[in-house]
Amino acid sequence: MRRASAIEKESVQIGTIEDLTGVFESIASTQVAKVRNKVELSKEFFELLWRRYRSIRVDPKTRITNRSDDKKQKQAFIIISAEAGLSGDIDKRLIESMLKNYDKATIDIIVLGTHGATQLTQLGISFVRYFQVPETDSYIDVSPVIEALEPYSKVIVYYGEYVSLGVQDVKSIDLVSSMRDMSHEDEIDEDTMTAEDTIFEPSLDEIAEQMEKTMMTLALSQTILESSLAQAASRFNSMAVAKKRAGELLADYRLEFHRAKRSESDRQLREVMISIKKKKARARGLAR
Amino acid sequence: MKHDDNLKTLNVIARAPFNVYYQGDAQAVTATNKVGEFDILPGHADFFSILDPGEVVITTKSEPIVFDINNGILTARDNEVMLFVNM
Repeated sequence: MRRASAIEKESVQIGTIEDLTGVFESIASTQVAKVRNKVELSKEFFELLWRRYRSIRVDPKTRITNRSDDKKQKQAFIIISAEAGLSGDIDKRLIESMLKNYDKATIDIIVLGTHGATQLTQLGISFVRYFQVPETDSYIDVSPVIEALEPYSKVIVYYGEYVSLGVQDVKSIDLVSSMRDMSHEDEIDEDTMTAEDTIFEPSLDEIAEQMEKTMMTLALSQTILESSLAQAASRFNSMAVAKKRAGELLADYRLEFHRAKRSESDRQLREVMISIKKKKARARGLAR
Repeated sequence: MKHDDNLKTLNVIARAPFNVYYQGDAQAVTATNKVGEFDILPGHADFFSILDPGEVVITTKSEPIVFDINNGILTARDNEVMLFVNM
């Protein structure tokens, strides 16, 4: 049996790990709440902008993007992964899901986030562009990514979707189609604003183009936010599991420590008893 | 009479993707576009504009709301002004 002092030393280390995972768990939980709020605000913003876009009645099917459906043109897969390693298993699942549909000859991979880039490199899968995940604390600048997507006929985004704190799914969307799909809504809730009754500065076309670019940017930003939410939740789960495991280990160590301590005191007691017996025997021998 | 009261105020929504700068009644909105600085007052004609970087001022009954923008779109219709900024 190990010495009680050695067990005590190890249990202190496990206690520190338990405290640390507890801190990470609460940071992840705060982050989940913060990002959820942003996702809601961003959705509201998009809906308001879309309402106004509809009122100018440009044909979104032709205007929303100028991308061709040329089958010969390459497609792009975007993976939105975490910037750091502490993201649970969501990035691994993301890559596995993407690889099921990946064809090297026709698809280019664009990675957002160091974690995804590292995992792809380890798997020996090449990617054409890498971007850091844009800052989500105040403002998401996705314009470099939007520029990089220009040459592609189709853009599929793979990202982690937050379902609940315990469940995060891998989701993929066709960025262009999802924008086009929004124009399928039939209800007309706004009167048309035309050049006859509305002042457009600059022209209607320029305004429509600006709004489309903004909505495309918002759609991509939204997936980044969703992804960041899923990563935070996944991190929370990993930390909760790690904290629980550390707590169990600590309980085992405490039990082992008490056993070792008891065993040590039993041993000492035995030694004392033997010594007393020996002394008594010696005393009896001398008396004879 | 009620109609006249409505004409005297604007209903303004000013927001960025993660931030609501102002939402409520206002007397005027001042911003800048390619043509120059302009004011939206109650009863303004329907208006759609891309904003230039600079300062936006929303004049309310109490303190004016002032904030800087990098970019934005302003729409005014039936005394409802929407500002989509810093996108």
